[in-house]
Amino acid sequence: MPEIGTDRWVAEFESRRVRREGPWGRLVDWTSRHWLGLFVVAAVVYPFVIGGDFGIRVGVNALLLAMLAIGLNVVVGYTGLLDLGYVAYYGLGAYGYAFLASEQFGIHLPTLLVVGVVALAVFGIGLVLGQPARRLVGDYLAILTLFFLQVFVELALNLDRLDLPFVDGPVSITGGPNGIAGVDPMEIFGFRFGQVRDYYFLLLVLVVFLIVGVTNLARSRTGIGWRAIREDTLAAEHMTIPSGRLKVLAYAFGAAVAAVSGTVFAAVQLGVFPQNFTVALLIVVYAALVLGGEGSVPGALVGALIIAMVPELLRTPAGARLLFYGGLAVAALTLVKPRRRLLVVVPGIVATGLAVRSLVTALWPDLVDVEAAGMVDRWVVRFVPSADVVVSVLFIVTIAVVLGIVAVRRRGAKDALVVVGVYLLVLVWENRLVEEPSITRQLLFGALLVVLMVARPHGLLGRPRVEVV
Amino acid sequence: MEFFLQQLVNGLTLGGVYALIALGYSMVYGILKLLNFAHGDVYMVGAFAGYAVLVAFGGPTDPRIPVVVLIFAMFLAGMAASGILGVVIERFAYRPLRNAPRIAPLISAVGVSFFLQNAALLVAGARFRSYGTAKMVDPSTGLQWGPLRISIIRIVVILSAVALMVVLHLLVKRTKLGKAMRATAYDREAAAMMGIDVDRVIVATFLIGSVLAGAAGVMVGLVFSRVFHFMGFIAGLKGFTAAVIGGIGSIPGAMMGGLLIGLAEAFSAGYISSTFQNLIVFGLLIAFLLIRPRGIFGVPEPVKV
Amino acid sequence: MATLELSGLTKRFGGLLVVDSLDLTVAEGEIVSLIGPNGAGKTTVFNLISGVFAPDEGDILLDGSSIVGLPRHEIARRGVARTFQTLRVFLNMTVAENVIAAEYASGKVGAVRSFFGTPAARAEAARMRAVAEERLRFFGERLIGYRLDQPAYSLSYANRRRLEIARAMATGAGLLLLDEPAAGMNPAETQEITRLIGELRDDAGYTILVIEHDMHVVEGISDRVVALDHGVKIAEGSFEDVAADPAVIEAYLGTGGAATK
Repeated sequence: MPEIGTDRWVAEFESRRVRREGPWGRLVDWTSRHWLGLFVVAAVVYPFVIGGDFGIRVGVNALLLAMLAIGLNVVVGYTGLLDLGYVAYYGLGAYGYAFLASEQFGIHLPTLLVVGVVALAVFGIGLVLGQPARRLVGDYLAILTLFFLQVFVELALNLDRLDLPFVDGPVSITGGPNGIAGVDPMEIFGFRFGQVRDYYFLLLVLVVFLIVGVTNLARSRTGIGWRAIREDTLAAEHMTIPSGRLKVLAYAFGAAVAAVSGTVFAAVQLGVFPQNFTVALLIVVYAALVLGGEGSVPGALVGALIIAMVPELLRTPAGARLLFYGGLAVAALTLVKPRRRLLVVVPGIVATGLAVRSLVTALWPDLVDVEAAGMVDRWVVRFVPSADVVVSVLFIVTIAVVLGIVAVRRRGAKDALVVVGVYLLVLVWENRLVEEPSITRQLLFGALLVVLMVARPHGLLGRPRVEVV
Repeated sequence: MEFFLQQLVNGLTLGGVYALIALGYSMVYGILKLLNFAHGDVYMVGAFAGYAVLVAFGGPTDPRIPVVVLIFAMFLAGMAASGILGVVIERFAYRPLRNAPRIAPLISAVGVSFFLQNAALLVAGARFRSYGTAKMVDPSTGLQWGPLRISIIRIVVILSAVALMVVLHLLVKRTKLGKAMRATAYDREAAAMMGIDVDRVIVATFLIGSVLAGAAGVMVGLVFSRVFHFMGFIAGLKGFTAAVIGGIGSIPGAMMGGLLIGLAEAFSAGYISSTFQNLIVFGLLIAFLLIRPRGIFGVPEPVKV
Repeated sequence: MATLELSGLTKRFGGLLVVDSLDLTVAEGEIVSLIGPNGAGKTTVFNLISGVFAPDEGDILLDGSSIVGLPRHEIARRGVARTFQTLRVFLNMTVAENVIAAEYASGKVGAVRSFFGTPAARAEAARMRAVAEERLRFFGERLIGYRLDQPAYSLSYANRRRLEIARAMATGAGLLLLDEPAAGMNPAETQEITRLIGELRDDAGYTILVIEHDMHVVEGISDRVVALDHGVKIAEGSFEDVAADPAVIEAYLGTGGAATK
């Protein structure tokens, strides 16, 4: 952790320069200077390597998330406005596209016009709804914007049976819980977007455009002003920076970026539904941003790619196992120190498993599914479906044990807890988590946010921050 | 008139619950300047703990112990589970971030909230659970006053909410711990220098706030009979706003704010539109946040230069 | 470049009268020191001038026109720049960025052109950096070269004070409000800052109002000294006159009568 007033930066200047030499240092250096080019090359190759539609769809989701995270980075990472209503603007963009390009109102405007109109309109909405950012700070703004999101969701859900004057019968604006289906695909300069791949490349262009633009902005007086406001709003104002105007600008800019990605999302999905724009998505975007490192554009990009692509492994049981046991191995390696203690811990885990299994089978034979015959099943207790209460209780116990591992300092006790914890994790994983990939994924996102904040608040590529609290 | 009084009772019940939730937000915010996003989910866990006790003792139709004892045990379980959870959250998600950048504890809190919701989803499933209070206590018993009837369970809920708040008030005003809490809220560093164990005070604050939230969870289960993994989100939002409306950090303010929101919700549901009930309440809350973010009892924070 | 005129300036915090109908003029190119014991209301005067608080009564004229009630950034843009007693550099920004941030008002390129990276935007960014370098050069070699990219949090105390002054200069203001520029500095650094404040006026043409506790600094730089106590001006004049003034001595040391009160 950096500290105020210690001139370590100067002392380490030379060692930083040295670290950039040598083949590895030069590679890291080169990568960090050409990351955008590397990303573009990899992204262009990706659909041809991955083949199938599913893989490309994952890519589309990753790029959408990248756009959202880079837009949010301007609001949160640069300007320090904690916008918890961000996803609403994504929704507004999607609904805006659906209104202007579907049978909902029988309007089918050209794509570029729709996107332009929607982006400008949402930017305007952002300018209006961003006004409170001038006065409200920190948590107040966070809660207010979260209410904005709730209002948006409520409107999307309930504006389907509206009695309007001069119109017969109830009018549906948003289609309520069923949303709007049958949205037009995009068409730009006569090119009709037929496949997911088309959207993938469109998004790639948009993401690169956005990265270049935001990087330019960050170097301009606007971007530096944003960051000064986050550092110290009052001091920034004394340095001629109009903080209110710049805050609103950042907020509306983020909204417009979200809206543009929303239009593409609506077109890819050929429909919009209220459940696409809830707090769950908000968490995903925040997870992407803080994983990469808020305040860093490449960080937002990398975070989004990881968050969007890695959990896809959870979809297939084989991939999920790979991810889970891989993660477990890494965790054990970092938790058990010195490493040679693993010689005790690993056999301990195996022995625990065998012991527990034979004990449970002997004591409560009707709880155990003896039919299961995978490799892991000989070791782990496989419960019958009717014993799900037991699994639920074990799940809670597992959380407690894992927290215990963090809290306990005595090495022996810690290792013992690691043994029990790993076994319990495997048990719960095999019995429940693996069958609920979507819940598991969200559990992981929630835990990731906490762990990141505690262990590495600046994420993978961000810079550690110093604040006077 | 009868309808009005019925809504009034509804509002008071709801208000008592929101007030209990708001107290936890307000106390924690007062001391740590932290918006404990997970507080609503602590309340949800309390409701589930009550439900677990109910099921463990035979369920509403056929309880194995006297109903009064059962309800008491449910309250105890809800408060204990929430209290422990609150302390655990503080220890693992907030304490390491005491001196971190401002944004970190908030994001951590959002993460905890999301984790708890999904853990509950995993453990209890997505369907609504019902306490089935009507089967446990005959809904026709209670106070009959002209056309107005208040069921016994509502009376119990309102009275216990009031009792808890009185206890809290005495605790904060009369005990040594209460004094330490007020001192810590005023200036944490100075309090630490005066020999107050700030960590202990913070843990106590989380414990008390979470216990109140747990009680609120059981109350909602008893009166409104819907317990599910997502129930803490909206209730938490409203509880926080109740704390803001009352003036964050102020205990009587939180009680007042809770009542106001409860009443506003009951009356807008009763008189305007139940479809747009949430929307109306959210609109009110937004308006309040915009017009008077320091709340009724709050004092504006001085500009530090 | 700048004259400042306070007339009847009054500020209350609740019932406490912090600044009491203060009249004060700083002529163009003058260095005026504001002295007084702790709690005399010196920093509050700065806060009133720079727009942190609005005065309850009285007026503040900058070059003849009132700046009361203007937003803070507008006051800065009109020509009042300040430093802070408690050091408020933008910690997580580099030395150069700190100074560039203060050049905001001098920029003409909007966000849209910046986004697209037009030649004008690039030219402006380059110009701003050059200006920042020039401002920092005022302090010799200390903050330029590779140090331009040093994060501000890692600067020493004295360098953060220097950076604050460079930042104030970069706003383009003609009037500098320096709040205890020598606080926390060692004797050598104090001497240097005394010389620098002189140069700020002589070479760079700034008008300066300074709060300072170190009487050697005050003696070394001031054209005029104003002493405050409990928000009231108790003495004004040359350093020698003010230092010998009985009211000032009493404010600082107290008297037998004051002690028994």
